[in-house]
Amino acid sequence: MREIYIGVDVGSVSTNVVAIDRKVNVLFKTYIRTNGQPIDSVKEGVKQLKETLGDVEVLGVGTTGSGRQLAGAILGADVVKNEITAHATATIHFVPDVRTIFEIGGQDSKIIIIKDQMVVDFAMNTVCAAGTGSFLDHQAERLKIPIEQFGDLALSATRPVRIAGRCTVFAESDMIAKQQFGFSKAEIIRGLCDALVRNYLNNVGRGKNLEPPFVFQGGVAANKGIKAAFERELQSKVIVPEHFNVMGAIGSAILAKEYIEKTGNKTNFRGFDAADIEFSTSSFECKGCSNRCEVVKVSMEGKVIAMWGDRCGKWTNSL
Amino acid sequence: MKVSFPYMGSAIVYKKLFEFLEHEVIMPPKPTQRTMDLGVKYSPEFACIPLKMVMGTYLEAIEKGAKVLVTSGGHGPCRAGFYGDTHRNILKSLGYDDVELIIFDAPQDNWKAFFRNVQKIRNGVPWHKVINRMYTLYRFVQKLDELEKMVQKIRPYEVNKGQTTQVWNQIQEKFDKIKTRKELYRVYEECKQMLLSIPTRKVEEKDIIRVGIVGEIYVVMESSINFGIEEILGNLGVEVERSLYLFEWINDNLVPWILRPKRFKEIIKKGQRYIKILIGGHAVETVGHIIDFKERGFDGIVHLMPFACLPELVTQSLIPKISKEVDIPILSLPIDEQTGKANMLTRIEAFVDLLKNRKKGETKEVFIDNIQEHVQEERVVMV
Repeated sequence: MREIYIGVDVGSVSTNVVAIDRKVNVLFKTYIRTNGQPIDSVKEGVKQLKETLGDVEVLGVGTTGSGRQLAGAILGADVVKNEITAHATATIHFVPDVRTIFEIGGQDSKIIIIKDQMVVDFAMNTVCAAGTGSFLDHQAERLKIPIEQFGDLALSATRPVRIAGRCTVFAESDMIAKQQFGFSKAEIIRGLCDALVRNYLNNVGRGKNLEPPFVFQGGVAANKGIKAAFERELQSKVIVPEHFNVMGAIGSAILAKEYIEKTGNKTNFRGFDAADIEFSTSSFECKGCSNRCEVVKVSMEGKVIAMWGDRCGKWTNSL
Repeated sequence: MKVSFPYMGSAIVYKKLFEFLEHEVIMPPKPTQRTMDLGVKYSPEFACIPLKMVMGTYLEAIEKGAKVLVTSGGHGPCRAGFYGDTHRNILKSLGYDDVELIIFDAPQDNWKAFFRNVQKIRNGVPWHKVINRMYTLYRFVQKLDELEKMVQKIRPYEVNKGQTTQVWNQIQEKFDKIKTRKELYRVYEECKQMLLSIPTRKVEEKDIIRVGIVGEIYVVMESSINFGIEEILGNLGVEVERSLYLFEWINDNLVPWILRPKRFKEIIKKGQRYIKILIGGHAVETVGHIIDFKERGFDGIVHLMPFACLPELVTQSLIPKISKEVDIPILSLPIDEQTGKANMLTRIEAFVDLLKNRKKGETKEVFIDNIQEHVQEERVVMV
């Protein structure tokens, strides 16, 4: 029977599930749209894994992403880690000499600086430059171009068009204005890619020393137009790794592997039956004080297995 | 007079102050979502979050019956200097003509106005009593801060999750009841024992991570607006120290300058390596403390800044340079009305991972291992 480690990355746009073996070969990966239903998408991912790999022995499970707590509770994860550490872990494995990681997802954009295979600095979008992936999605829809063709179309543009960066609201009005001037869709998309990269490097990468090798990952890395814009802006080659869109999941699987190997613990994994178990989340407003926290409650077949969202820890600590 | 004040940090101290002056104190509620909602609704959009939260606090205190609001003003070119007047205008426009706002600006800027205010809140209590009670209050703040510093050094290692915070809450309740100096010293010893009897894990020096928190005073001191960052870090196994404690603030700002401990001057001097002139807010102090924390062997810095706070923005733009030159990782967190914690937690967790990695890479001798010793060392000796 094959021995595997499972990694799950639940993000705002996609849920990714991977399985790796002891040597970190990726045996399975899937990329599912979260569609606001993280529980269903995690179950779906694990089900697909089981169907593809058949009988396996799960040695450990790691979760990451903004839904890491929820996924961790459902699966019985051994390691629940933040995305920055998870992404860095995976990238260092595949590109050992990496110095700078660009990670752009649905909601968050990050830059991770690595030195001697160690995270030495990182930045994440703060109050602006959020939602790059979602914005691209939205523009693709508005221009009636499938998001998969977005990048190729950008590459076919011959003239550069300047689109305002800074804020997607400005960017959108500027795009519309340039459309009215008569620029082609391809040119406008290329201009948009340039603007997003410029904005990202200015905002998220502000004050950071960006050194090659550059690795670009996250869902947006599928977009060749953005990759090309990065290369133009940095005047350097940008590597998009093979598993670019599931690197977070791979990283969390590696972290689970390291944890299990170090501690010798047995995994907490609930088993593949978890895909059939009824999980439900509900929330209630705690009336303990005027914070009125919205407390999230995760139940497994009627039994509460996790709670969070309370500022004071009254509920989180009650289990 | 029914007196209230802005809620910030250990608010029982301000409550004690007005109790000692024999006022009827309306305790403002600890800021909550409702405070923020009220504050945001009635404040200018581009004001920073402290102005909004304080606005909300005033409205809640007035609801509870407060007729006089006492606050500190500003000093130097930061918008905080206008807060008092802004709040006063907003209250007036909302029809609270009967509410008085007393603003204490830095005494050296206008001694006359300062003493007029003092006369107002002295409430006819004889001077010798005022002086005696203020001295008690001074010690009160000192002892409370000492205990809080212990809390921050015990929490990361507690065996039962949440116990230290519970004990800390009990301590604050006990302190709230103190009336005399004698009682203060007794309760202090009792509380110290409570803290020392919390079961903790033994941690080797090489595994200890220390983080200093710096930034604008309100977001550094008030846990309800900074997501309880000290607790978050503590629960991740990190020892925390703030750049600001009330006792030190009093020493630095209210104690006559001849009696002031030298520490404040040194911090400012360190800060002026990067910011030469006073630009208001806590910009120079923030930089000074970053350097100071590094010199004292801390592993990292969390820099809290209210969104749109100019002094802290200046600091933030200096941070890459300082971080490189002084060689210490610094995480800047802008704070506004957002309550979604996921994004913030990701950054803090990743930052702690980074610090742990760094520590693994360069293990070196550090000096403090006994909590009690450390507390002693920290105590500022006053005349």
